[in-house]
Amino acid sequence: MRVQLILLIGLLLNSTVWANNEKEMQTLFEKYDAIVKYHEVEFVEEVFSQKFLKENGGKEEFVTKVLDSPKEKKPKKLKRILQSWKKGKVGKIIFAKVKDDEKSDPSQFVIVEENGKLKIDGTISDGH
Amino acid sequence: MKYLILLALAFPKFVHADLIAEENFEYIYELPRSETPEWPEELIDIKYVDYKRNTHASFCTRPTEMIDTIVLHHSETSSTTTALQINNYHLARGTANDPWYMIAYTYVINSPYAGGSIPKPLLTEGRPIEIVGAHAGSNAFIPMDEVQKKLWEEKKVLCGKENQVPTFDPSGVKNGKIKANFTTVGVVVNGNYAPYSKHNPGGYSKRSPRYPTDDTQDMIARLSCQLQKKYPRIKNIKWHNFYNATTCPGSIKSYIGKIKTIAKGYGCEFN
Repeated sequence: MRVQLILLIGLLLNSTVWANNEKEMQTLFEKYDAIVKYHEVEFVEEVFSQKFLKENGGKEEFVTKVLDSPKEKKPKKLKRILQSWKKGKVGKIIFAKVKDDEKSDPSQFVIVEENGKLKIDGTISDGH
Repeated sequence: MKYLILLALAFPKFVHADLIAEENFEYIYELPRSETPEWPEELIDIKYVDYKRNTHASFCTRPTEMIDTIVLHHSETSSTTTALQINNYHLARGTANDPWYMIAYTYVINSPYAGGSIPKPLLTEGRPIEIVGAHAGSNAFIPMDEVQKKLWEEKKVLCGKENQVPTFDPSGVKNGKIKANFTTVGVVVNGNYAPYSKHNPGGYSKRSPRYPTDDTQDMIARLSCQLQKKYPRIKNIKWHNFYNATTCPGSIKSYIGKIKTIAKGYGCEFN
């Protein structure tokens, strides 16, 4: 009985952590969507890692790249683009599958933790 | 126990995450291959590293006579990503139902973008060439030539896990066509050579497109030629989106003709 109770508490704690991460991931990709589609570039530093921004010429250059791309009209109800995500066992990386429309294959995003916050560190090519 | 079952029903995603956490990676330093290849002619230095592998994942081995094509990729990551990092990414990308064995590519090229000074040019071996790669797409099937047909009929391509007796898996051929991964070698250039899009935030901007520099093209040509001199059946250089709808390998695809011309200078001919 005691073992079952410990297991149950452990499972509940784990599921709470998972639910918090799920919420954080969902928010991250809502903000990502807002940047790349609706040009809400004020979220750039919240969404992308410093390493990613540096590799892309810095924040200003990245913002210019975003603003140069076509802007979409924001719908009343936002569509969930985050399909699934998983924590990798190696190197504390999180992988997220993001799919924007039915035609395209999901993009593979690499997420890292930076100062306690989840941030997008880039994408990785498909294959297999 | 009934609480556990109820929890599993209430949180199916959680149960899935828990299954993934059971993946177990082990260091095994002796790769399942005979030896480091001896090259008839060395046109480029190759660095060999020890990779962590997922011993729960299956893989296939092949005679090198199966291989006739080099397939070019870009990693879509930063150009400074190392081969070991790519290996970690690929191990981590696998799932409990579909674990990845190790780095999917056979060679990894690091070379700076135009005007850049990092990373230092470097060619690293990925998974050994005798192990079938995982790069062209598992649903890409292509015609076989007579040599490949014979090797397939002789059941020379065998699959299994480490420390298991490998077996012949007939699913590698469908309607007379073979999985592209079985007859190709995956070469990846680390970097993002595709344009920026909402699916590819690290892509290049219209104002400053990225392309493989002369040095990068030369590295690809040297490697391709060195491979052809050792494995003379390698006669083709293709690109990832020849097999699959993907943006990979970005602008590198437009330089394949030039790469073949450079390879000719080293004494190699590609179709």
